[in-house]
Amino acid sequence: MILRLAVVALLAFMTLPTVVVIAVSFNPTAILSFPPAGLSLRWYANALTYPQFQRAAVNSLVVTAGAVLLALPIGTAAALALERGRLRAPGAWATVLLSPLVVPGVAAGLGFLIVAASLGLLQSRAVLVAAHVALVLPFVVRSVWVSVTNLDPALERAAASLGATPARVFVRVTLPLLRPGLFAALLFAVVVSVNEFVVSLFISTRVNEILPVAMFTYVVNYTDPTIAALSTLFIVATFLVMWLVDRVVDLSAVFLHHR
Amino acid sequence: MRLLLAPAVGVVAVFAAALAALLQYSVLEFIPGSLRTGGFTLANFRGVIAPRYLDHVWDTALLSAATTVLALVASYPIAYALARTPSHRIRSWLLVLTLAPFFTGAIVRTYAWMLVLGNTVVTWPVPMLFTERGVLVGLVHFSMPTMILLLAAAISHVDVFWRVTLPLSMPGVVAGSLIVFAWTFSAFPTPELLGGGKVKMIANVVKDLALDSFNWPGAAAFAMLALAVTLALLAGLGRLAAGRAP
Amino acid sequence: MLARLIALVIVTLLASAAVAHAQGPLVVSTWGGNWKDTVERVVGKAFTAKTGVPVEFEVGGTIDRLAKARVTKGSPLVDVTLTTTHVGRLYISDGLFAPLDMGKLPNAKQIAREAIRSEHHVGTWAYVYTIVYRPDLVKDEITRWADLWKPGLKGKIALPDFDPSHIITIAALMEGGNELSWVKGQERLRQLKPNIAAFFSTDAQSQDLMKTGQAPVQVMLSVNAYHLQEQGIGVRVVQPRDFPGIVGIDTMAVMAGSKKSDLAHQFIDLALSKDIQTELVKSLRAGPTNTGATVPAPLRGQPGIFLTASEWKERGYIMNDEARAKTLPAWREWFTATIVKK
Repeated sequence: MILRLAVVALLAFMTLPTVVVIAVSFNPTAILSFPPAGLSLRWYANALTYPQFQRAAVNSLVVTAGAVLLALPIGTAAALALERGRLRAPGAWATVLLSPLVVPGVAAGLGFLIVAASLGLLQSRAVLVAAHVALVLPFVVRSVWVSVTNLDPALERAAASLGATPARVFVRVTLPLLRPGLFAALLFAVVVSVNEFVVSLFISTRVNEILPVAMFTYVVNYTDPTIAALSTLFIVATFLVMWLVDRVVDLSAVFLHHR
Repeated sequence: MRLLLAPAVGVVAVFAAALAALLQYSVLEFIPGSLRTGGFTLANFRGVIAPRYLDHVWDTALLSAATTVLALVASYPIAYALARTPSHRIRSWLLVLTLAPFFTGAIVRTYAWMLVLGNTVVTWPVPMLFTERGVLVGLVHFSMPTMILLLAAAISHVDVFWRVTLPLSMPGVVAGSLIVFAWTFSAFPTPELLGGGKVKMIANVVKDLALDSFNWPGAAAFAMLALAVTLALLAGLGRLAAGRAP
Repeated sequence: MLARLIALVIVTLLASAAVAHAQGPLVVSTWGGNWKDTVERVVGKAFTAKTGVPVEFEVGGTIDRLAKARVTKGSPLVDVTLTTTHVGRLYISDGLFAPLDMGKLPNAKQIAREAIRSEHHVGTWAYVYTIVYRPDLVKDEITRWADLWKPGLKGKIALPDFDPSHIITIAALMEGGNELSWVKGQERLRQLKPNIAAFFSTDAQSQDLMKTGQAPVQVMLSVNAYHLQEQGIGVRVVQPRDFPGIVGIDTMAVMAGSKKSDLAHQFIDLALSKDIQTELVKSLRAGPTNTGATVPAPLRGQPGIFLTASEWKERGYIMNDEARAKTLPAWREWFTATIVKK
């Protein structure tokens, strides 16, 4: 009973900020009051029409699409190699591929900043895409790897023995069997890239900044609830994505991997 | 088949090159008002222990330790429930509520705490926003999803009787603590926004030096400190895990 | 198939980067938030309508923009910089501002003498740092700087912690000194400590302290006080009788090495024109520098709004730019160590 109360209280603590953000996003005035004096959608209108957000949204789209389209094939190839490449130390290679996960964002960000500046690439999105590929790669490798482990090589052998070329086996047999892993990888990669902030802050300028960086700049400079509106949109989108993932792969299988 | 690994290794190599550039800059001399650098020097690392920066290093260590302890205490009940509930539906709900903040993004989450800790919703008896207290609350909240998942994974390996659960879940406790400490040690958005320029942890000093003063060598030295602490803690974690393996 | 897709992505990325470089807008460096919005809406729109050249903004704090200008000296990322008159001095001493070509700024002839700050930078609007308070929470009327020291205001005052130059100068003036002999006011400022409830770093914090009544008396920007009034918080802006408020002037300058010097001059000239100044005053609630600008009736005669030569002279204290710029670090250090620390 006490445990149950504690769990409920702690979950309330975890969800409280989300609830407040959603409530505040409908606040009619620039200076916040709680509970709000009325309901208004003006901050949603402001969030969607603010030019720097529009530009940042385009940048986010390009950077995330670029990073995910690169990381997905690269990560899938790596996952196949890890499981089937008869590597001498697959564990060590896996550690290498997952290592960007443990590097502090400011260290990676500053490193990329120095490299970008020396290449004269500060205003372009290329460095952002490169950094994002490295940052989402661990998630892709891990998600696809789970599917590869469950793959039965007999099915591929069967296709090959019936005369299919290796390429055809890969496209018609292997890829479809990897679909759950690929789908999870895609969604994780998108969520991680769309929300990436610290590394991107260091290598962003006014021209190429992505949405989280633009939101950060706005929070520092303005006090009105525009970010609450934008955050609410983010939260709703995130829940949709999580729900989708849960349809396709069992979340507890991914995160509590003993099951 | 092995060649399939090559592109991924290439990506990690690019990442490693960025870290190498960081390492290189941390031992180059800073020339004020310029992005050019001078020769080899260890002065940047002496800067880390200079009195005006040492406070921030100390604050970082204290906040990380406090965050670890509080996150552990706050996460254990949820992790326990998550690992032990017989109902699949409750587990799904717990997991979604736990993971949601994990995937909402740092800015959204921190902004939300700015609203809660400011005097908008309730008027706090003591100032919360732009104080270490407020930053601590944000950091604990930020760490809880990770802590819960690691604890839950450990607890669900253990047998029923709850008196033995706590001791036997120690691996999860140790792993969670090390990871949360390392993670908090390089926290950036939470202290940046909830600290309001008054509470600065190491990552905030890195940002100030790099993006506001353009002292890249000095910033690199601080970033190396954060990197070193993270790697040392995770190496310790790896050794613990290896020592326990059957 | 996959290779073609990747190639396509790379080509798209490169192409979009190239397009961004080719357009070439006029880039203006300014503070974020309301400042940028106002300059963009009032000056930027009119400039683009007139010249067809788009305007983009690089925003940031006063000092980090200076640092950025330093490291990009010679090939600046921006064409026009807006900054305070004293920090402008630092840009000038580092050779970051180009001398203004007055022949290209015909509107400068209508600018108040005090606002032509140097051959390099010219004032676009003015305001004062003065006492602002909530009459509903403070019993005795506040009319003079000296009133801040009254025991009745114990634990009621908030000051900015990022720039103490105003209160330091006032304390020095009260002791018969000025900003150059600021040490004279140190003891008096120490005596203010019991009355100080809080320090604020951002406008939002200051707003919050005022709204909740935690610090109903503040030394703040006149511009921000008028904004509070507009948000329905009934504050009174004091025109102190013993010493005037401390004047702030924000200035514009052309960056040395800008490839769009002509357009930059045009932008500044437009910002100084009578009509644009009238608009700026209306939205910022600051004082115009163009003596021909029209000021809305409720603002006339208010602190920080100077319309005539005598008002410029008598109703505000203009600090020595150079001394302020060069001593500010020392002031901050002393203020943080002595006044802010418990």
